[in-house]
Amino acid sequence: MSESRHSDGASHADEQALTTVQLSRTKTWGGIPTKSHYTAADLPAGHNPDEKPGEYPFTRGAFPEMYRSRMWSMREIVGYAAPEDTREGLQRAIANGASGMNVVDDLPTKWAVDPDHPLFRDDVGVEGVSVPTLRDCERLLEGVDLAKVDLAWHSIALVYPLTVAVHKKRGQSLDGLLGSHMPDYLHQVLSGWGAKLVPPNMALRMSADCIDYATEFTPKWSLGVPQAYDLRERGVNPSQEIALGMAIVQACLDEVVGRGRSVDDVASKMAWVSTSDVDFFEEVAKFRALRRVWARTMKERYGATSERAMRLRIAVHTSGKSLVYQQPLNNLSRTAIQSFAAICGGVQSVETCTYDEPISIPSDEAKQLALRTQQILAHEVGAARVADPLAGSYYVEALTDAVERDALAFLERIEEKGLVAAIDSGWLEAEMDAFNVEFDEELQSGDRLVVGKNAFTAEDEETPSRFEERTASIEAHVRRFVEFRDSRDMRRVGSAISTLYDVTRQGGNPYPPMIEALIADATVSEVWGTLRQAFGHAYDAFGIVDSPFDLSPA
Amino acid sequence: MSARPVRIALGMLGLDVHTKGIRTLSLRLRDEGFEVVYLGEHLTTTQLVQAVIAEDVDCVGVSFSSASYVKQCRTLLQEMERQGASDVPVVVGGLIHADDHKVLQEMGIAAIFGPGSATRQIADSLHELCRGSAESGSEPDRRVQG
Repeated sequence: MSESRHSDGASHADEQALTTVQLSRTKTWGGIPTKSHYTAADLPAGHNPDEKPGEYPFTRGAFPEMYRSRMWSMREIVGYAAPEDTREGLQRAIANGASGMNVVDDLPTKWAVDPDHPLFRDDVGVEGVSVPTLRDCERLLEGVDLAKVDLAWHSIALVYPLTVAVHKKRGQSLDGLLGSHMPDYLHQVLSGWGAKLVPPNMALRMSADCIDYATEFTPKWSLGVPQAYDLRERGVNPSQEIALGMAIVQACLDEVVGRGRSVDDVASKMAWVSTSDVDFFEEVAKFRALRRVWARTMKERYGATSERAMRLRIAVHTSGKSLVYQQPLNNLSRTAIQSFAAICGGVQSVETCTYDEPISIPSDEAKQLALRTQQILAHEVGAARVADPLAGSYYVEALTDAVERDALAFLERIEEKGLVAAIDSGWLEAEMDAFNVEFDEELQSGDRLVVGKNAFTAEDEETPSRFEERTASIEAHVRRFVEFRDSRDMRRVGSAISTLYDVTRQGGNPYPPMIEALIADATVSEVWGTLRQAFGHAYDAFGIVDSPFDLSPA
Repeated sequence: MSARPVRIALGMLGLDVHTKGIRTLSLRLRDEGFEVVYLGEHLTTTQLVQAVIAEDVDCVGVSFSSASYVKQCRTLLQEMERQGASDVPVVVGGLIHADDHKVLQEMGIAAIFGPGSATRQIADSLHELCRGSAESGSEPDRRVQG
């Protein structure tokens, strides 16, 4: 902790001193010490100047030609209100030139809670789209051929079985189903969902069963595992992101490969969900180190032989928590640099945060600016032209090595405890809390400056305007849901739910009966609640709604 | 001065998963000399108010990063009143938009913190808010029976 504590960081009076006296910080944003300059003597011992992109250990990129062979996917986030509203948003994003869409569910859907749950009516359709039934998923995807459009789903819960169910009901082959979601339940326990949504005894099995099912039945569907983005946002640095993410990947692989699947089949379906924070060089170093750690782990620990399993694909959403509420237009600079770091780091898809993310649900204008940022980087800046452009930089090579070294050291600490024990005991959460407390102390002491927040602040700042919620369609959507639910063939639903319960209790993979239950028009609450019961938990995590089914163990 | 420390309960309601801010604040307020009772996340309003009463606190703080906070605050204050705890000040923080400050204040929210609030400012405001109950050294008696 610093000796020279200010009451509220650096104020106006300090501004001139700050700009003329000295740099506030010589460590990276994640805490790695740096020198004033680097020379050839700083190149790591194992540095291979002849390594090429697309070659093991893939430090320099997953593919030989990188963005010349395939441009990164420029993703735009859509999702609000009723399914019909989001379908319009999808069409608008395509018209805007987005090459991929990320669909965000509302909070109740993310929790697999029906929209008429008495506690959460106010959350329906607010922060994403409400998709409580297969019928709603069909409305959302009307006119979207899932064998042609690659949708990325920003959630876990039931989006995968819902999408599979839509495709199946349409009579299309699961072999051709495109898309991705993030079935990392372990990360949820750590990043704010808590044991309430996913009790620890469900988390690893739900991830493993999903990976297992998807590997066998939907070969073109990608799995965002680990969901390391949320972990970073919760409070770890870049090397800890690699460590914790790898620990999650290893836990899943140990389970699924232990069941007899080949690591080559499983690892090649996985993509790392990452962030890009504001320290440009450190993030570039992280992406490079990450690919190397992944490749070596797959080859050396799991005996992978397929290149597809060893070369890691990375999906990036730029850091939301790095954005600042004050003087929000500054966030355009932050997100541009963060997106540039991701591209210099060789990632496969980027979603650029909207500058107004700290203020409200993104406005249409902010969304367009986020996409345009990427288009400028791709077509004007020259970010896409040459693979791994910072390779050979004394600093970046040394930093890549430092991030990798710190990551492996933290991974060892997690492995000593065991990942599940490290989660259950609260040790990992305490580590994250300690990181955030230190960050906050550094803000307060002025050891860490954030423009507009604790330095270079403005008086009389105007309140940024916000996105206007559209609620009329939500009311109609909830009414329609209740009417539909109360008019179903309950014998059909009940029979599918019973099967789901029995299969899960007997240790079978719940995904096939989950999909069948959704096709039989069970709601998300009914499917998830039944799963919870099969694992020995209450039907409703909040203890308000009772199961409508009479389930007696088979 | 024989003032006892301010005792504050912190927690989150419902489906909101953005726990970083309030967990960090709870640790930082402990550093600042507060007695912090961290009630946890994903509470129902009923549970939160029961805990506020059982823990006999001077103040309760709730963090929101979900957009439905105005309605949730109203429900919370109604529940505080229903359980006989409406003398405990409720403060809120998180992603609270300035356009909502007036309506929150009018419904009875005692203080609003947000992305612009430094920990020290929050600590100062809470001291100010709870001065009556804490600095007199008196033990609050807010337990309701039955």
